[in-house]
Formats: sequence, C-alpha cells, structure tokens
Amino acid sequence: MPSSADSLLGELSALAAALGPAFAPTGSEELLGALTETARQLFGAAACSIALVDEATDELVYTTAAGAGAADITGMRLPLSAGVAGFVVQSGQPVAVSDLQRDPRFARDVAEATGYLPTAILAVPVMSPRSVLGVLSLLDRDPTRPGAERDIETASLFASQAALAIEGAAAARYLGAVLLGQLSEAATAGSDLADVLRTAAAAETATPAAGAPNRDLVAVAALLGDLNRHGPRELRLALLILHEVLTYVDGRSSRPGP
Amino acid sequence: MRPAWSDAFLPDAVELVAGINAAPTREWAFAGASGRGVRVAIVDSGVDKTHPAVVGSFAAGASLTWDRDLEAVTTEDGDHPDLFGHGTACAGIVRALAPDCEISSVRVLGSNLTGKGQVFAAGLRWALDSGARVINLSLSTGRPDFFGLFHEVADEAHHAGVVLVCAMNNVPSPTYPSQYASVISVAASDPSDDEIALLCAARPPADFGAPGLDVEVAWLGGTTMKMTGNSFAAAHVSGLVARILSKHPHLRPYEVKSVLRAVATNAR
Repeated sequence: MPSSADSLLGELSALAAALGPAFAPTGSEELLGALTETARQLFGAAACSIALVDEATDELVYTTAAGAGAADITGMRLPLSAGVAGFVVQSGQPVAVSDLQRDPRFARDVAEATGYLPTAILAVPVMSPRSVLGVLSLLDRDPTRPGAERDIETASLFASQAALAIEGAAAARYLGAVLLGQLSEAATAGSDLADVLRTAAAAETATPAAGAPNRDLVAVAALLGDLNRHGPRELRLALLILHEVLTYVDGRSSRPGP
Repeated sequence: MRPAWSDAFLPDAVELVAGINAAPTREWAFAGASGRGVRVAIVDSGVDKTHPAVVGSFAAGASLTWDRDLEAVTTEDGDHPDLFGHGTACAGIVRALAPDCEISSVRVLGSNLTGKGQVFAAGLRWALDSGARVINLSLSTGRPDFFGLFHEVADEAHHAGVVLVCAMNNVPSPTYPSQYASVISVAASDPSDDEIALLCAARPPADFGAPGLDVEVAWLGGTTMKMTGNSFAAAHVSGLVARILSKHPHLRPYEVKSVLRAVATNAR
C-alpha cells in the first residue's frame, strides 16, 4: 500500500476511534449507576441491577448494580435460558415473584455468587422500540410502602430511562464503524484501501452488545456507496425510495397507541 | 351477475347458524362444562405434563427454535421440557378452570433471542394448524416489522374460529398481537374468591382483567410459586374460554368475547 494511503488510513482509524467517545453522551455509565441506586432507594429494595443481552454468546451480562451483592454481581454472565431475568428477556413480559426460594433453580446462581439470597424479585424488560436490550431487576423491595401496587409500572419507567441511556451510548459506539463502512464502499472496489477499511469496519461492529441494528446501518451506508458509483441519477432514485420508506414508517409509528 | 362472496347469501344457499343467546348468564356459559373436547395450545416455554397441577389430557406439541446456520425456524414435534416454568404455570391455571380440556405445548422460548419474532409467529401458526380452539399467548412483540405477519396469523385464527388469548404487555407503545382487535387481550387484576373472577375493561386495548397479582402458580420440579404478571391473567381467561367452548362449540371468537363480557363481575 502506498505510504500516503497508509497515513490516510491511520488518520481515518484514529478519527473513527475518536468519533464514538466524542459523540457519546457523557456519563452514561454513571447515569445507569445512579438510576439503579435511585430505583433501589425508591422501591425500598435490597438491590437493583441491570443486565444486558450479549447476542454473540446468548448471555445476560450484569453491567450495573446497587445494593446487596452489587460488587459481586457486576460483570457476571448468565445464560438467557435460565432464571427470572432470562424469562423476562425472552418473553418481553415483566414478572414478579414473591417467594423465590421455593424453586431451588430460580436465581440460585445469582444468590450463591452474591451471597445474598432474595425472597422476592421484580424483573422488567429494558426495551428499545426494536428489541429487548436487557432486564432491570429489583430484589426484595418493600411491598408495604405507599404506591407499591404500581411497582411494575414504575419499574418499567426506570427501565425505559435505562434503555434510552444504553441506546444512546451504543449508537455513539458505532459511529466509527459507520464512517469506515461508508468510506470502504466509496473507495474503488477491490483496492487495498477498500479491503483494509472494510476489515476495520467489521472489527468495529464486532465489539460486544446490541450490535445488530447498527450492522444494518453499516450495510445501508455500504449500499449507498455502491449506488453512488453507478451515478447521480441512481443515487437520487435510491434517495426517493428511502424517503418513501421513511414516510411509510413514520406514518405507521404514529399509529395511536394505548 | 353477483359480486364475489355474495353466493353464500343466495336464498337457497343461506345456511342456518346457531343463534346468539341475547343475555348469556354464568349458568348458561359454564354450568356442567369442563373443557372436554377443547384443545388449548400454550405457546410459551414448554409445559411439565407431570406437574400435579397440570396432569390430565394432552395433545401432541412442538418445540420451535431459530437455526442460525439455516437462518430459518426449525420445528421439532413431540415432547420437550419447560425451560423456565412459565408455560407450566399457565397450563396449571388453564387446567384448574377447564380440567378436562386437552392441553398442547408449543415451545417458542429457547436459549437465544435471535429470530425470536419469527419463532414466535411460526409457533402461533403451528398452534393454529394443530387443531387448537384456544391459543394462550403470554408473549408479544413491539417490533413494527412483525405487525403484518402477526396480523395475518391473528386474522387467520379469527376466521378459523380459533380464540387467541393474549397477555397485555407493559410497555407504552403498541405490541403485537396483544393489541389487535381480533384477539382477547388480558391484564392482571386482584385475586378473587369468585371462580370466574373476570372483569371487563371499559376501554380498550385491554379487553378483560383476570387474577394475575400474587397468584399461586405451578412451577418447575412440581413446586408452586407466588407470582405476578399479565400472563397468568391471560391463562385464566384461556381456561374460561375452553369451558365456554366445550359447552357451546359453535361460538365464534367475537361471540366468545361477548359472552365473557356478559358474565364479567362488573357487567350490569
């Protein structure tokens, strides 16, 4: 590869790597930490945690926790096919259990790892409009406090906030990948630079958690690159179609909700 | 010349249909009914047939998963364990209300999330094709790209006279198929000593409320758990529908909805 291309690639990679952090909402991890602690206190719960889906391994990864066993549970991975949290993610349905210890399999793994054996759990899905991102769990909340009968609804509001923070951070993380993907397709097909950039884009999208929609975004950018090579008329046609799709999608999502 | 579909209404072609009882009572709807002859499909995490609260009559089921290599849904007919306990919980509630119904388990919840929407839709279709009269769904999706697919299956069920009972979801945006007009949408209400324990919602999209708060449900390993969720409320209504259909098999899904409304505790 010519040295000028080498240096360009170096600059592009640096730019791509910097884009995510540059555009990332500041303090999203801190926000999630504060959110779990606030929820824990509001619900009078022993602990509150957020676990996110890792689609590559079909696991739930506990990323944020507050309260009993928080340090031990953070970073823990559990299969999606087990436990309350796994069910909530699989079904998208919130569930509350008030006598957890009756099923020896239920949450035992968590309890053993954290040294805290909960009696009750309330788990609600953390959802984006497109998919279930993870689960927010509250252990042993105080059922006697005022407003406890609306706990599922209130916990779901916390989960919606968490989803916004998680989606924002994920979108920023993939900005670099989108840029590299677009550039790779815009470069002459088959050139060394195109190959290298494509590999770099693939590596960027391979970073863990919630990547699927963003990989689609890279694919869309790549297709636009292809069309651009066909000529301005083709690109204009594609834009018209995209506008139509957007109008259709906007119309459908503005369908009155409950 | 007659437009399409009008042949059925030619004077000599019009068929007799069962009339509607103008004011169905609980006695009319349920007395002496046990769910016998009605198949209820539980589209969920599997069903433990040996659980004391679930034992009884069963029909063949299937387990559906997403094959990542083939990028398609694969269906395995026959028995399969309950992965979470949730399907067993729903089956136990149905069995308690309609002891002689035939339960079949269609497992669509597995070990991963990939292809979940497709698996769920395929499971629903499998249940529909299997001869079930009632399909209990405690799952739904909010993904707009599945709106059409689920709508098609829900309409097909409605036209085939199959009653879909869906748990309402708990998210502020629409979910499918729980909010389609053709299904019966259920949310949890407080426990009640009344066996029928059905409340009719004054406003959609939820149609009915049924016990789903702190209810004692069957769980894995022959145990029971005290749980809260709209899914348990949906199973309660599925049990009631199985009872009604075992006594009044000619009822169409929209008539079943009317009967449920008439027998609701809060119906005037």
